[in-house]
Order: sequence, then structure tokens, then C-alpha cells
Amino acid sequence: MKPIRIEPLLAGVLNVGTWLASVVIAAGLVLSLFHQRTPFLPGTQVVTAGIGLFVLLPILRVILMLTIFLKQRDYQFAVVAAVVLLTIFAGFAIGILAK
Amino acid sequence: MSTGTELWLFTVSLGASALGGMLGMASGIFIVPVLTLWGHVDIRSAIGASIVSVIACSCGSAAPFLKGRLTNVRLAILLETATTAGALSGVLLVGTIPASYLFFIFGMILVISAQQMLAKRRDPALAPIQSLTGRSTTWRLDSSYPDRALGRDVAYRVRRLPMGMVLMYVAGLISALLGIGSGVLKVPAMDTALRLPIKVSSATSNFMISVTAAASAGAYFVRGDIVAPVAGPVALGSVAGAILGARLLMSISNERVRLLFVVVLVALAAQMFLAAFGRDWFRGIA
Repeated sequence: MKPIRIEPLLAGVLNVGTWLASVVIAAGLVLSLFHQRTPFLPGTQVVTAGIGLFVLLPILRVILMLTIFLKQRDYQFAVVAAVVLLTIFAGFAIGILAK
Repeated sequence: MSTGTELWLFTVSLGASALGGMLGMASGIFIVPVLTLWGHVDIRSAIGASIVSVIACSCGSAAPFLKGRLTNVRLAILLETATTAGALSGVLLVGTIPASYLFFIFGMILVISAQQMLAKRRDPALAPIQSLTGRSTTWRLDSSYPDRALGRDVAYRVRRLPMGMVLMYVAGLISALLGIGSGVLKVPAMDTALRLPIKVSSATSNFMISVTAAASAGAYFVRGDIVAPVAGPVALGSVAGAILGARLLMSISNERVRLLFVVVLVALAAQMFLAAFGRDWFRGIA
């Protein structure tokens, strides 16, 4: 099986994700600056959506790594990635419970 | 929120992230004091904005490091089990330890880190590769990176992994307690325990920061502590600054990065001691 070069793939995903989140935030800021509303959402909510994208990006990165390790049949590191993912979810759960 | 304020938030974040990205640490540690001291932003919004900026900074600067083969991806995910576990413990411990104790502890850790980084030791880039025995080989973590200053690939070995894991757990724990990014602790931990070349430490730390911050950021986001008009410009500035910082890191020498890091560590330690001994502007953080 051809080994997957993991670094360029991760670089691409993080790059695209960062740009996407940044563009959404910038668009939201411009909208809120001019006190205009989109047909759907006020500017600040667009900014909040962009911030949400940033929060999801690292989680997406761990899921991607888990998938790659599984494809490479590198089960040792697939378990490692799964543990990291579960720990992050546990953090979310604590945050929700402590609300 | 006026145009001037947004521009100010953007510019401050850009500067903080450029410096942070260059040193392999997140900008949160600068952003919280600057926002609360000069910006008169309330402490909870400042922390919320700083956590988003920490993630934005880490994600925005990751690509050049990954493409430049400076980031050790396997080592990062392995160490992330320890940093996220530490962060989780920190979230559970929040509120049980007085804030002034925390700042004092952090100040001490910064001073020890600065001292360790100043201490003379053999440059791993020049040291001969030792026999590949021990635990690190079973995890296949040893790698090499292209060094622009030396003009060749430098092979390195990951040493003392168990000690590195313990230090990463502590880094995750303390950063969660103080509500900041943990690069300032991760880089010295990798430098002293794992004995990695400083550029590999910086790049790998930067890569790990977003995942460590994700759990606490998620909690803040769910609770509504992230205020969009503050966090938005700060996140945008952080991305721009982080990209700038990463570019600078690749083209300067190991020794200069080390010296700059020591200067920033000492400055931050002074700040932490001020906070520990009753400067109330910093007390609300933890």
C-alpha cells in the first residue's frame, strides 16, 4: 500500500479551514460595522459562526489523523488519536455540565 | 463597537501573534493582559477572545511548518494525549486553587524554563546520532528536518519520552488553570526532556496548541463566554500575525530564537509575580 504523506494533507486542511473561518469572521465584522443585516443573520452572528469554525478545526484535524492512521493500518497511533479525540469530547461534556 | 476599536484589537493581536508564532507559543498570554490593561475589556471576554486567538494562531501557522517538515506529527498526537488529559484535570480543578498561588507557580515555572534554556548544552544539530534504543524506537518518533541555516537535513532522536509526557501533562494542567495557551511551557518541556532541536520543538508545540485549547474553547463557546465583537478582530489579527511569525522562524538561527524566547520568558515571569502579589487587574483570570 502506498503510504500517505500526512503533512501536506494536514497543512491543506488547516490552511483552508483557517481561511474559511477568517473570511466568515471578516464578512461578519464588515456587516456589523455598517449596522446592516443579511437576509438571514445579523453581522455578529456571522462572526460567531466563524469563531465556531475555528473551535471545530482542531477537532477535525484529530479526526483526519485518526482516519489516516486507520487507513495505514497503524493501529497503535489510531488508538492514540482516538484517546485524544475522546479527551476533547470529555472536555466539552464538562463544560456543558458545569453550565 | 467602533471601527477604531476593531482596528486596535486587530493590530494588537497581529503583533502578539507574530511574536508568539515565532517562538512556538500562542498569543493568549499577551492578549489577556493587553486587552484588560489597555483595552478595558472585561476579563471573561478577554479570556474568551484569547482562547479563540490561541486556536486561530496555531491553525494559521501550522501549514508552513508542516510543509517545511519541522513538525513531528506522530510525536504531537502522542504528546496530545498528555496535554489534553492535563487540560481536563485543570478544568476540573478550576476554583479550588487561589489565583494568586497559580500566578506565583506560573512565574516560577517561567523562570526555571528561562534558566534551562540559557544553560549551555550540546547542540543536537551537531551531536552524533546515538544508538536508537529505548522506548522512542517502538513508537517510531525519530525523524529529521531540513535546516535552512545549516543547509542540510538534521536527524534527531526523541529522548526521555516518559519525562516528556509528564511535563506535557503538567503543561496542559497549568495552562487550563490559567486560561492561556500552553506553548510557553511545551517548548521548554520538549527542549529539556526530549532534547529536540528548538525549531522542531517550536513547530510541534504550535501544532499541538490548537488541540489542547479546543476542549476549553468548546466549553466557553457553549456557555456563550466568547463575545463576537471582541473575539472576531482578535482572531483575524492572530491569523495574520501567526503566518508572519512562522515565516520569520524559518529564516533565523536557533540561537536567536533561544535568546528571544528567554527574554520573553523573563518578561512574562515578572508580569506573573506582579499578579501574584496583589495586582488586581490580573486576579480574575483563573
